[in-house]
Amino acid sequence: MWKLSRRICMTRMEDAILAETTMPRASALEGHTKPGHYGAGDQTGIIFEECQNLVLFQIAAWPDSLSRVSTLAAEIAGAAEAPGPGKAIVGDKATLLRIEPLKFWLLGTAASDLRAEEGATLDLSHSRTHLKVSGPHAATLLNRFLPLDFREAAFPTGSVASTAFHHVVITLWRSGAGYELFLPRGFALSLWELLREGAAQFGYDIVATESEHE
Amino acid sequence: MTARRLDKGGRIDRSHSLKFSWDGRKIRGHAGDTLASALLANNEQILGRSFKYHRPRGIMSAGVEESGAIVTVGEGARRDANVKATTQELFDGLVATGQNAWPNVRHDAGAVSNLFSRFLVAGFYYKTFMGLPPFEWGEGTGWWMRYEKIIRRAAGMGTASREPDPDNYEHAHAFCDVLVVGAGPAGLNAALTAARAGLDVVLVEQDFEAGGDYLNQASDGSRLSELLSDLETAGVRLMTRTTAFGLYDHGTAGLLERVTNHLANPSQHMPRQRFWTLRAKQTILATGALERHVVFGNNDRPGVMTAAAARTYLNRFGVLPGEKIVISTNNDSAYIVAVDLAGSGAAVHLLDARSDIHADLAATLKGSDVHLTSGAAALNVRGNKGVSGLETALSSGMGWRQGGIEDCDLVLVSGGWSPVVNLASHRGAKPVWDGNNCCFLPGQTSEPVHMAGAAAGIWQTTACEVSGKAAGAAAANALGKSVATISMSGSAGWAHPISALYEVTVPGKKLKSFVDPQHDVTADDVRLAHREGMVSVEHLKRYTTLGMATDQGKMGNVIGMALMADALGKDISEVGTTTFRPPYTPVSLGALTGRNSGEHFRALRRTPMDRWNRDHEATMTDAGLWHRPWYFARPGETIKEAYIRETTTVRNSVGLCDVTSLGKIAVQGPDATEFLNRIYTNPFAKLAIGKARYGIMLRDDGMVMDDGTTWRLSETNYFMTTTTAHAAKVMVWLEELLHLRWPDLKVHVTSVSEQWAGCAVAGPKSRDVLAACVEDADLVSNDSLPFMGVVEARLKNGVPCRIARISFSGEMASEVYVPSDYAPAMMDLLWKAAEVLDGCLYGMEALGALRIEKGHVTGVELDGRVTIEDAGLGKMASNKKDYIGNVLRQRPDMMREDRARLVGIFPKDRSQTFNAGTILCKSDEVSGHGEGWITGVTYSPTFGHWIGIGFINGGHNAWQDKSVTVADPVRRENVDVEIVSPHMYDPDGGRHLG
Repeated sequence: MWKLSRRICMTRMEDAILAETTMPRASALEGHTKPGHYGAGDQTGIIFEECQNLVLFQIAAWPDSLSRVSTLAAEIAGAAEAPGPGKAIVGDKATLLRIEPLKFWLLGTAASDLRAEEGATLDLSHSRTHLKVSGPHAATLLNRFLPLDFREAAFPTGSVASTAFHHVVITLWRSGAGYELFLPRGFALSLWELLREGAAQFGYDIVATESEHE
Repeated sequence: MTARRLDKGGRIDRSHSLKFSWDGRKIRGHAGDTLASALLANNEQILGRSFKYHRPRGIMSAGVEESGAIVTVGEGARRDANVKATTQELFDGLVATGQNAWPNVRHDAGAVSNLFSRFLVAGFYYKTFMGLPPFEWGEGTGWWMRYEKIIRRAAGMGTASREPDPDNYEHAHAFCDVLVVGAGPAGLNAALTAARAGLDVVLVEQDFEAGGDYLNQASDGSRLSELLSDLETAGVRLMTRTTAFGLYDHGTAGLLERVTNHLANPSQHMPRQRFWTLRAKQTILATGALERHVVFGNNDRPGVMTAAAARTYLNRFGVLPGEKIVISTNNDSAYIVAVDLAGSGAAVHLLDARSDIHADLAATLKGSDVHLTSGAAALNVRGNKGVSGLETALSSGMGWRQGGIEDCDLVLVSGGWSPVVNLASHRGAKPVWDGNNCCFLPGQTSEPVHMAGAAAGIWQTTACEVSGKAAGAAAANALGKSVATISMSGSAGWAHPISALYEVTVPGKKLKSFVDPQHDVTADDVRLAHREGMVSVEHLKRYTTLGMATDQGKMGNVIGMALMADALGKDISEVGTTTFRPPYTPVSLGALTGRNSGEHFRALRRTPMDRWNRDHEATMTDAGLWHRPWYFARPGETIKEAYIRETTTVRNSVGLCDVTSLGKIAVQGPDATEFLNRIYTNPFAKLAIGKARYGIMLRDDGMVMDDGTTWRLSETNYFMTTTTAHAAKVMVWLEELLHLRWPDLKVHVTSVSEQWAGCAVAGPKSRDVLAACVEDADLVSNDSLPFMGVVEARLKNGVPCRIARISFSGEMASEVYVPSDYAPAMMDLLWKAAEVLDGCLYGMEALGALRIEKGHVTGVELDGRVTIEDAGLGKMASNKKDYIGNVLRQRPDMMREDRARLVGIFPKDRSQTFNAGTILCKSDEVSGHGEGWITGVTYSPTFGHWIGIGFINGGHNAWQDKSVTVADPVRRENVDVEIVSPHMYDPDGGRHLG
């Protein structure tokens, strides 16, 4: 175990080559997120914020290496433990989302390769558009598109789900800051247009985009 | 009928006057009115014309079962036809018009058809015009097709707007512990009981005001106010103007919320309607009951309505619907109606079909001026456009005899009540006939669905309240709460037995009596259907169209069944009922569509260089869900000129094409190689790191599923590409294999289609472009990057990339992949390098031309009917290993030499063209399905003429020196062609090897 985690720390910078270039990244929503107030009246029922420059790595384990990889994943994220299925844990260094029984998403930092017998890591940083939806009507708006039970008992803060948004599979995490949507990049603009149409009745703000965690 | 608004009473807001227009005339109503109550208050009598006979129709009810006051609301693009005036909430500026009439509903030329009504019985048109002698002599429908259009124009309902709907609609999802449908005495109590047990309750009500039958009662409304206040305190989510139109599996209910239908100037941001999918753990149906009418002569005249409707107009809307009123009933419920109406100053004569009236019941009339006649019923309404009098019938043995004539202006009817069992029926609970109550009661269901109140055949308000509490408690207890069980005490049905009464006739008297007024189905039509051999309710429905109008049988079904049972000499329970299906009331197409319209009809998928492509003059086209560049026209160029130029440029110099839409899958794990070896027909076990291999995967049945290249990045990491069309299917297939068949394999597959943006650099100068763009040009030399080689490199702008030397065009070519957010930066770089070499950007049209010339297959060819041999790729099927589809691909029929095989097609006369989708036939036998088909065509700049790709039996060897004709019977003339090898361009592959 010690050996494995050390290897990750040592090789992280080498392997996280994709995050290193200075070339600015082009968001799928570029030109469509001008900050301001939109829709009905003065009230702000919804706040949208695109978190640009997403850093997202998948860490996948095998059934017989799950517990070792879980511990490791928690260590990378700076969390006491790895989250259970359908849950997320925010660590000191990064956030871990348990998106499948054998798969974690590491949000905010890179993960280097694992030995094949332990598991597999994969850079998905460019595959999703990360959109934060908050405000008093955030859950109501999302329920205009998603069949998820957002009631407190069913989907408390820290919950993660894969769900369908206009037939597109998206990942959704309820963080302390609101609902964080991970939209497949190619569909992101189309889904963003739908969200804006649906949000107009509540009045919504688009706030200036911020860089992702690192 | 002389209806008028009373000076006081009702739940309308008299301080809030609303202006609206009816058939062009401006009139007034009040907030809290329905369109029907406002029209009635203005003594408007004829509001519609019937479907077939164009008979004048007025208000028949006060709810969703309305069959007379069916009107058009709105104008222009917002014209909404077939709106029931009884459910349309009045708002300022509402525009309503009559429909199915010319010049208007009061004077309708179409009413002439009523003169011939004795001929226009059920089935008349089919019997008369189909196979019409002497034209068709009993066979064929050619003439019928011509008549039908004219006949259909004469009959019908309103006309929908043909303009695009300017409103927006949306979908919504909700969850709750208990769904209660119907906010009447039962539903309100059920919701309150469940909510007080700590449950999350949603209460839906189709009306704009909660209260159900409470609203119809002559009370001060304090009981209702108290309940509503308690519900609010208990946290019940009350949704008014919302119809639960269907009940589905696992407690799922479909709701339609009318969000702005009642607003004069709705916000542009609000949807007009909202289509809810609500999931509940327990469902309580407190949907009430609908009062039935009785079949008698001219029972459809304006001025004939249900008794309860009159009470609604009186007590809820402050409208006295008539001055001299005759009520014809067979049950107790009309007594309170009579008392209320008489109390408001009307002269009321109550005819009770029952000969023996219990003293208790008669006593309820005491102190009122109601005149009661027992053993009497309505027989025939007098008056052409309204009610001028009523011929009555008197009980005579088992039947009726002619009575006297009552001078009246309003006839009210109560033929008993039909519980609204529709939603329970949606769940397969077959309604059960209850002879004592003369109605269908909801059938048993094993689902967590509870019935309460009148929907369960419970008629009295207090009993309904108890029934609601009992259902609320039952639902709560089913969810683990501890609520004292409430049992229904006393009789749930009638205090005094109802008498079965569905039709009133006297011997020898011809009457025009309507069973289903909305579709103009008469009692005689039902009997005719029986005489003509219809024996089941299902036959009856289809032959007469009974119950097929917009009310879906709410008004007439039970009566129709009773008459059919009578004709058959059976009991109603033996005749059965038709199954109710969703929706309970109509749902607009807009609501079903929600926001999935226009550009959002399907989710639109854009590549990361979408904007870059469009900034460079791409004309886009749809490729599945993707938007892809079709061609890049220069000023003045047509599509044909553009793609020919692009194709030529790729052949001679270099072109760039966005290929991001190809499916891309990361295959990782120690068993990745074994996994690939099992799914591809060709060997993958020895693929070297840094190499790509073209592979074909089959389905279990041996047919080709997909093709693509897979690149080995490391010992345990692969990058698989699939066709654009089959990307999702392949991903699902691989997951299925790993989860279900080979869970022992340590392999993870992850879609990285969105992670990587791809650009094909194709043409003899492609290497020059790459060399100009990568930091280390040596990495892309022929030695470092030979055909099917893969390198990881950095572009000159610092962007990391993967390059594979693969070719779809047949030229020396590579595909360059970068993380998606860097796609525009990659394109800037590549294009700068290509442009100086007189290169071009090319789209799908040129891509198609290049690949057809080369004979490469795509998803169009791999349509699920093609074997690996059919596709001309049989050499890729390994005989040395096992793989998915290997056994079944070797079935004798799959290996037949004369199967349709991939071929190329040239026109004999090189100046001619032909279409994709056409059939290949022997020239001397152009018929049937022919010998093959064409999947793709293009102008080939290489050959200077039109070419095609397709399949023909036996392949091109079988057709050498034989005449083949492209048959295109629907679109154009046939064209003679010759069949050639599919590898039309550079068959030896010298060009792509470089």
